[in-house]
Amino acid sequence: MSTKHYESSEEGVDGIRVGKRVIGAQAPVIVGWENIPRVTGGPVKLFIFTWFQPAMLFAMIAFWYYAPNSIAKASTAVGIGIGFKVLLLALEWVNPRYASWRLTWKELVTDLFYVGLGFTVLHMVSHYIGSDAMANAIQHAFHHDAFMWFTGLPLLAQAFLIAFVFDFGQYWMHRGMHNWYPLWLPHSVHHYITQLNINKGAVGNPVELFLIGLGIGGFFDFLPRAVLIAGAFGLAIATYQHINVRFNSPRWWRFLFNTTEHHSLHHSQDWEATRSNYAGTFIFIDRIFGTCVDGEAELLGMEGGRRMAIREQMTHPFTEGWKALKQRFDRPLAVSAE
Amino acid sequence: MNLRFIDWIWNVRGSLALAPGQSSDDAFARLDPMFRQSGTSHQRTNDTLIFSKKSQAAQDKMSVFDGGALHIDTSVGGSVLRYHLTSRTLLFCFLASPLFLGIAQLTLVVNHFEKPIPHEEMKHADVPMNPIDKALGSPEPDHSKKDDADDDKKLSPKAAYIFSGIFAILYVVGRILEDRLVKARFRKSLMRDE
Repeated sequence: MSTKHYESSEEGVDGIRVGKRVIGAQAPVIVGWENIPRVTGGPVKLFIFTWFQPAMLFAMIAFWYYAPNSIAKASTAVGIGIGFKVLLLALEWVNPRYASWRLTWKELVTDLFYVGLGFTVLHMVSHYIGSDAMANAIQHAFHHDAFMWFTGLPLLAQAFLIAFVFDFGQYWMHRGMHNWYPLWLPHSVHHYITQLNINKGAVGNPVELFLIGLGIGGFFDFLPRAVLIAGAFGLAIATYQHINVRFNSPRWWRFLFNTTEHHSLHHSQDWEATRSNYAGTFIFIDRIFGTCVDGEAELLGMEGGRRMAIREQMTHPFTEGWKALKQRFDRPLAVSAE
Repeated sequence: MNLRFIDWIWNVRGSLALAPGQSSDDAFARLDPMFRQSGTSHQRTNDTLIFSKKSQAAQDKMSVFDGGALHIDTSVGGSVLRYHLTSRTLLFCFLASPLFLGIAQLTLVVNHFEKPIPHEEMKHADVPMNPIDKALGSPEPDHSKKDDADDDKKLSPKAAYIFSGIFAILYVVGRILEDRLVKARFRKSLMRDE
């Protein structure tokens, strides 16, 4: 695969040419790894913030690979997930990427409200009509022997396939959200966040959160240990999409995996920049389809960084959808009335 | 009912003594940058400043407040800045705790009315473990046990109770923290060197 060549990354009203696209004409962005700020400090700090991400990923994979059956279960995964996020919250305080993304009490309340909805109401909805119900239906529709070939694969291969198939689905769902207005409406709410913190991935209109959960990962639900390892891929990679910590991620990591850098660019105030880096876990999917841009942005959000209150976050897709419908159907009437 | 008894939930009131000889004009001039933020509008008369915020940025140091009034009382003993600020987020956080309690109750009601569905036992094919995993020492799958997922068929209200508790704690923390932070910011602004 050929690597992209970026022209000078100097910010300017003209933006930066990346292939056929011009990124950063509307808002400042950084393009190209060589232009992104690095972790500074002593050797211990440099070591930690260079190797933290790979070390955690390999530790989690090893844990699930070797954990006795008595603890290799979903409740342990939930516990590890919460513990890991608390650890990352602490890292946000120790080594923030941007001071302007510092977590405030108000942001924490908003973020946790959405996390809470995810653990309760959305969980209930998906139990009946969402991904859980879909997974059950699919699994019952197929005879189990149909998956024998899959369950005979090495665990890590199974886990990678589960994570990849899920992320591949997410990539196209996400890309669809940025290209088809009815799907953009619920997703747009998530793009009003103006800073990245550990729980910001949960912030969005519940309709979108429901849609994005409709992955086909549930297809393979009946392979507990492989699913748990696949979950570790998500936790130890996709979590870094929304986080205010600066890492010197190794070159191979940022080539294969999504990073805060990629996702901050996706959340930039620059419209063209948001149309990149759609994958959740494996950024190489973006590289394959030509939507990857390696870079970073500090100024995030929509409408110049207008913060959307929770009430508007709940109603925005419906009010905007109604406006769009009215506009569409009013126009011919207005013309004929002239 | 007099709202005064409960409005401490979303209202923050406080006062700060101005430096001896500090005029209202000087005090408001020093506080002025705090109200020159995007989404903030303010009006000032001689000794009172009224402000309101709409869609304030997360980065605004006073983003937790949506409006309020600052008043300078001048007396022989010295001038005092009195402020009264309102916050929808404080109210929201206060109400989030009972909201999640309600969600917990809703979960129990849903569970109560849900008819037990005869669960079709999904038999796992007894696929031999891949030789690579065997060689690397991963534990053998336990085919005798039912899936974990089978234990989760009923919805649990536990998460909703936990979040109710989290928001109760967050409210107490926020009510104290934001009160202190805004006071410290006012003090810092009033004392900064021009």
